[in-house]
Amino acid sequence: MDVVNPGTAGMQPTTLGAAPKPDEGQPPAILKLSGIEKRFGGIYALRGVDFELRRGEVHALLGENGAGKSTLMNVIAGVITEYAGSIVLDGREVRFGSPAAAQAAGIAMIFQELDLVPGLSIAENLFMGREPGRLGFVDKARMRAEAGQLLDQVGLSVSPRRLVGDLRVGERQLVAIAKALSLHARILVMDEPTAALSSAEVARLFGVVRELRDEGVSIIYISHRLEEVPLVADRVTVMRDGEVVGTVDASTPQALLVQMQVGRTMAEFYPPRNRRAPGEDVLRLDRAAFTPYLFRSGYQRPIDISLNVREGEIVGLAGLVGAGRTELLELLYGIGPAGVWSGTVEIGGRPAQPRSVGAARRLGIAFMTDDRRSGGYVPTLSIGHNIVLTSLLSLSRLGFVLTRREKPVVERVMQDYSIRASSPDALITSLSGGNQQKVVLGKSLVGTARLLLLDEPTRGVDVGAKAEIYRILRRLADEGLAVLVASSELPELLGLCDRLYVLREGRTVAEFRGGAEEDVVLTAAGIRLPEQDSAVTQDSTLVTQNGITLARRETGS
Amino acid sequence: MSERVPSDLDAHSGPPASRTLRGAWNGEAFRARLIQALRIFVRFQSVLGLVIVFVAGVLITPRINGEIIFLRPANLGSLIQSISEYGILAVGMTFVIISGGIDLSVGRVLGLSAVVIARLMMVSAWDLVPAVLTTLAIGLIFGLLQGFIMVRLRLQAFIVTLAGMWIAYGIGLSLLPNQQFIGITFGEGPNHAPAAFQVLGENLWGSIPVSAVIFLVVGLLGVLILNTTRFGRQVYAVGGNERAARLSGISVTKVRCLVFGITGLLAALAGIVDAGQYNFGNPAQGYGFELMAIACVVIGGTSLFGGRGSMVGTLAGVLMLGTINNILLLNNVDSNIQKVITGLIIIGAAALQTVAGGLTGSVGGGTPARRGAGPQTQAGPQTQAGS
Repeated sequence: MDVVNPGTAGMQPTTLGAAPKPDEGQPPAILKLSGIEKRFGGIYALRGVDFELRRGEVHALLGENGAGKSTLMNVIAGVITEYAGSIVLDGREVRFGSPAAAQAAGIAMIFQELDLVPGLSIAENLFMGREPGRLGFVDKARMRAEAGQLLDQVGLSVSPRRLVGDLRVGERQLVAIAKALSLHARILVMDEPTAALSSAEVARLFGVVRELRDEGVSIIYISHRLEEVPLVADRVTVMRDGEVVGTVDASTPQALLVQMQVGRTMAEFYPPRNRRAPGEDVLRLDRAAFTPYLFRSGYQRPIDISLNVREGEIVGLAGLVGAGRTELLELLYGIGPAGVWSGTVEIGGRPAQPRSVGAARRLGIAFMTDDRRSGGYVPTLSIGHNIVLTSLLSLSRLGFVLTRREKPVVERVMQDYSIRASSPDALITSLSGGNQQKVVLGKSLVGTARLLLLDEPTRGVDVGAKAEIYRILRRLADEGLAVLVASSELPELLGLCDRLYVLREGRTVAEFRGGAEEDVVLTAAGIRLPEQDSAVTQDSTLVTQNGITLARRETGS
Repeated sequence: MSERVPSDLDAHSGPPASRTLRGAWNGEAFRARLIQALRIFVRFQSVLGLVIVFVAGVLITPRINGEIIFLRPANLGSLIQSISEYGILAVGMTFVIISGGIDLSVGRVLGLSAVVIARLMMVSAWDLVPAVLTTLAIGLIFGLLQGFIMVRLRLQAFIVTLAGMWIAYGIGLSLLPNQQFIGITFGEGPNHAPAAFQVLGENLWGSIPVSAVIFLVVGLLGVLILNTTRFGRQVYAVGGNERAARLSGISVTKVRCLVFGITGLLAALAGIVDAGQYNFGNPAQGYGFELMAIACVVIGGTSLFGGRGSMVGTLAGVLMLGTINNILLLNNVDSNIQKVITGLIIIGAAALQTVAGGLTGSVGGGTPARRGAGPQTQAGPQTQAGS
């Protein structure tokens, strides 16, 4: 790959990797944007943005949805060609007419929705459109060999012959990075690369990012996850409403970063925990195992699950991607593969094994899927029609939907979940991600739910909406709902949940009460915990992360 | 932001409308109004198309002694009669297409049903009512089975109904007693059909064909079911996002089977109407009608991707095609040209959808959060103002 020689600036940068100090020893700026302005119609997406990327730094870009991060990156990557202001690359002013022109100048962008072809192999994806070979015949051996080298570089140990469609999201992410590397990128723009990754995959990705940086690649790293910033970035630029709020050192306390983003303090981020004693068990699994009639590869069946969720309690499910969290939730909601449970599965104190969504809903179980777009809502329907999808039966008589019964339900949900929309008749796709998520949540809870299952409840929503969703969940729990949340964002589980279980390979391997140290949870989900410990209970008190004490982490009492 | 949120047309929003009115000369508000008008136009394109075509019919068709032939009750009656069979199919097809499927078998099921009812009355000497009910039941079961096979074997609707097309045709042919078709004669005794069956070929109140009445009744029922019932909502939900529908507790299997049950049932009804109008049962009847039905649905503004569409649009689409053919007929235009024009209208209707969808962002949903993703739809010369 193409390593940029930083020596041209006269001074060898010695502080690479360490937190940048002001004034001295700074590597020169490789990319400098000044006064970038972009309007869509009458709305400013970018308003006089100044931004500087140094050679060999990881520069995090933070901001809520709609803050202008993606627009800015699209300007840099040549996707947006009409803008005001100037871009200076390596001391020369440039203006890219197309993404291809930006790519030729060494700027590669890795999009949220990866532009890989699932039906082709890794090698074919990496070299698409520029396959090595002669006379139109592809030299497959050479292509695979080169692909193998690239995969090594990003630490992905799978065969380049594998189909991209068979890879996990985290692995696809690495393939996308490898592709950018093969294009000799000097500037790499990564748009929320960890949105769908598990902790272990994130750690691996960060390793790759750091290595690239040390090799002189400059990286712009867009993320929603504040806790990642000190782990991976050198500097941070925070955007809000199309403007740059400021550029600060990555060791800036998270609380301050949150404030910069939303003008709100961290203390308000997670709602206070439940003060009252939880009630009866709503869900209880004891040494429960599920055996599907047909085994599919890649399906992590619950093998040994022991957990309980009580009224008024928020319980977390931690674990790596593939630990079986989603599978467990889906089975409880009656949408898993056909099969039989063994051990104890009790819902509301009585043995129950819902085999269909209808059966699960009759038992009072509600479910919110991790992928809003694929299973959360119907994009062609209005907000109101989406909200009543789960309750059509109770809102109709003789098969006819009664508008007079429907309207109050829609209004109540929109009010209870503070869904901001021009009208319930507007298409759901006209809403922001956070508001869509609130519709999905509200929809799943219409009726008489007593157990709410959530899979990644805040994936792809911005900080402000996250805080709002946490508050709503806590309010629901206070009203007596039992809540089981699966998430790959540990700080979220730690901040939100009363207790949490760690899942590994279909087994509950540990239970934590109150605040638990992130490291402990990582250990439990990783390989360091002894195999035979199948239900460890540990109490711990304080959560610290890189010396920053996260606000609102009192021990549960 | 709220300015850009596309609000539904049904929302008779008072204050926002007046706000846009006041700012009508402002460029933004004008643009918003234009987009809104376009959305309305596209949503009701076939209805507007029908009105335009109808007015054209009044203006450009020949007159006799100043009387417009086009507007004669007899002409309008025969106009609707000519479209009644594939119109009935189009009503069922609308359900299927909104649910995200397609039904290629309806034309052949129509032919099969015509043979079945003719055979039951002429060969088996059944009475009218049991013969009609049995024929309808066969169509219904044929459709339900297709839906069931699709869901259980996870096959595409296109494949299963393509197979169903052959199967229905084969069964229809095998029911023929050594002839091309089964002729229907009326009267008493064996080898005669009940006289009441004749009514299908007759007119009510002098000039309204019974088949036209059947089509209109079926169409109104279709509008009612699709727009006001739980099942109608479920059809839209399954077509818009099957997984979300399933997670909401909707039985996708049931909805899928039922929509194909509806097309099967209506195809059988159209087959009975066909037999009644032409007085024979011929398995070759209805051939190609499935494509006419699909065309009407598309002209009516229903998306072939599912989840979006309207029954009113379909009905207007059916009537529009019928009216155009009627105008061409009255003006003595070659019937082959009529087919070419039908094709052009299909392309025009579909193109309108796409163009307007791109302009208004109604297809992808122009959310503010993702506004950076769609720069190509937003040509903005005013962006240079700052420099």
